[in-house]
Amino acid sequence: MASPSWWIMAGLTGPLVGLSFVSSVRSYAEVSAGAGGGCGAVCDPLIGIWAPTFSAYELVAVFLLPFVAIRLMSGDRQSGALKLEAQHPLRPLARVAAKAVALLGGWIGINMAGVVAIGLWRLYGGSVSAPEIATVAAGQLLNAGVTVAIALAAAAVADHPSTAAIATLGATVGAWAIDFVAAIQGGRWQRLADVTPSAMVARFQHGLVETSVTLTAVAGIVAGLVIAAVWLRLGATVGHRARLSAATLAVGAVVVLGATMARGSWDVSEGRINSFPENDEVALRRLAAPLSIEVHLAPEDPRRIELQRSALAKLERATPHVRVTYVAKSASGIYESSDPGYGEIWYELAGRRTMSRTVTDEGVLETIFALGGVSPAPDPEMAFPGHPLAARPAGAAAIFYGLWPGAVALAGLFALRGRTA
Amino acid sequence: MPATTASSNPLLEVQHLTKSYRAVTALSDVSFAVGRGEVVGLIGPNGAGKTTLFECLAGLLPRDSGVVTAEARPIAPGSSQLFYVPDGIAPWPAETVRWALDYAIGFFGGSAADRTGVVRGLGLEAVLDRTIGTLSKGQRKRAVLAVGLLMPHPLLVIDEPFDGLDLRQTREVAAVLRAQTSSHRTMLLSIHQIPDAARVCDRFILLSAGRVCGAGTLAELTAQAASRAALAGEQIDPGRATLEEVFLALT
Repeated sequence: MASPSWWIMAGLTGPLVGLSFVSSVRSYAEVSAGAGGGCGAVCDPLIGIWAPTFSAYELVAVFLLPFVAIRLMSGDRQSGALKLEAQHPLRPLARVAAKAVALLGGWIGINMAGVVAIGLWRLYGGSVSAPEIATVAAGQLLNAGVTVAIALAAAAVADHPSTAAIATLGATVGAWAIDFVAAIQGGRWQRLADVTPSAMVARFQHGLVETSVTLTAVAGIVAGLVIAAVWLRLGATVGHRARLSAATLAVGAVVVLGATMARGSWDVSEGRINSFPENDEVALRRLAAPLSIEVHLAPEDPRRIELQRSALAKLERATPHVRVTYVAKSASGIYESSDPGYGEIWYELAGRRTMSRTVTDEGVLETIFALGGVSPAPDPEMAFPGHPLAARPAGAAAIFYGLWPGAVALAGLFALRGRTA
Repeated sequence: MPATTASSNPLLEVQHLTKSYRAVTALSDVSFAVGRGEVVGLIGPNGAGKTTLFECLAGLLPRDSGVVTAEARPIAPGSSQLFYVPDGIAPWPAETVRWALDYAIGFFGGSAADRTGVVRGLGLEAVLDRTIGTLSKGQRKRAVLAVGLLMPHPLLVIDEPFDGLDLRQTREVAAVLRAQTSSHRTMLLSIHQIPDAARVCDRFILLSAGRVCGAGTLAELTAQAASRAALAGEQIDPGRATLEEVFLALT
């Protein structure tokens, strides 16, 4: 944390967070003014303010945090401090864990910019939901943990920090490539994309805490730190360290595979954006038999994307006995659209089948309830009204673009000079 | 070369240590022992394998074969018996010398009582509050030596303790190192400047091209050199031979 690189990261975080916050407040004001009194989920601070504001930390985690971590690890090797510290009885894993804790402590420190954004939103009269913000921040913290683990491992393995930096960025670009291919091809690629850092963060940004995602992130963090510790064992041969690393990756992959099967999720969003209405979920749980859904839509078809991200995701959370299969001959569906049967969604429950083409939440539920012969009780509560707020981001620019960088620069100079006082 | 021990109960014993880097043999069947309270000089030219040997002893490099024991127990990284002070490092460059010494005492369990004496003996008073990265080569060497001298380990292995020091500083550091033996510290020093070695060491191990070519006191090495010279039809005057002449004769 005392390193110049951390202070630079801290200084840049403020303007990045400020840029996201200012633009999201302005957009939110436009939507609130246009929607009038009942704008519902459209005026949800989670989606309209916190997700975009804290997404700045994703940029920091990709482009700044790895270099702080690499500097911390590689600096010891390059300066020769590692040769001294490796002679201490403290186990390499404990040493690596201490560095990771220090880095995450530094990460929490730069979250002050997010805290400033929250304070400003309250000052403007905005609504603040602590569970929502805590979930968004937790997702960014886990993402930072994964980044730190990858960077520390790369720095421990590589002889030179620039090699470690390239390797770490390569891992990030690789994850983006998986996301891109998954968006086109779906299937196995989609399953792989579900465990990339960006997919993980997206879930938390929507107020969804999933056991599988959290366990996967923790497994990745532990695997990265273990590999870093393995390569700090200078007295072991390269072959021995490579074998240990391979074994660690294999165990990590098995743990991740198991983690992806874990069920258990919590929707902390005020507007229940990740869930069906309460009474609908109660009715779904009354379905006695397993539900099979066969979707005849190509992976790139926007209807399939909407169906997967909304209705099917909520359905899989609400009831454990859902099996979804996809039938498509191509990625885009352009040349299939004239085929009879393309666009159909078949539902099968207790030997009965029905077909629908609708992909909306309401349409999917209606089809399932009709098939299952159940009816949800009328919902006595009103739909989520939203929290419209047509406010200007007064003072935010001055704080994030001027006061924050200035304060960080002064504090950094003071801290760095204080070493030699 | 058989191990030469100064006593029947050596503090450090190295047996048949071998280390290769791919096709290059850096150390070949190296064996020697270091007795308690001795200052032993490992002498050899650049590339002889001195640093490789020291890093193998400290467990910072894996050895291909051989046994290294301290007080009859195998040495592993983190051992409480041996501490290795590398050459040419500038650890914690953004921290001050004062911080480094505090770290040595706090993290490694170094001796706070010896701090003042070590600082004064190595002439570090003027640079205590300077960051290590801003020090000259000689100042850095003395700062790192200070870290090593504060360590609680009974055996210090120091790589090139006089590198970067001028003549006066070399003599001062040599005096500090010799004074360490009065507190039962044992030292193994690698030195490639032979006159410096002769100034401070009790016994010598001659290393050349990864092999031990001789081991013993100056008198013992001179006798070895004289008998080898006689076999070759040459002469070495045992009463006037310098360590340099002995080294050249044996290597």
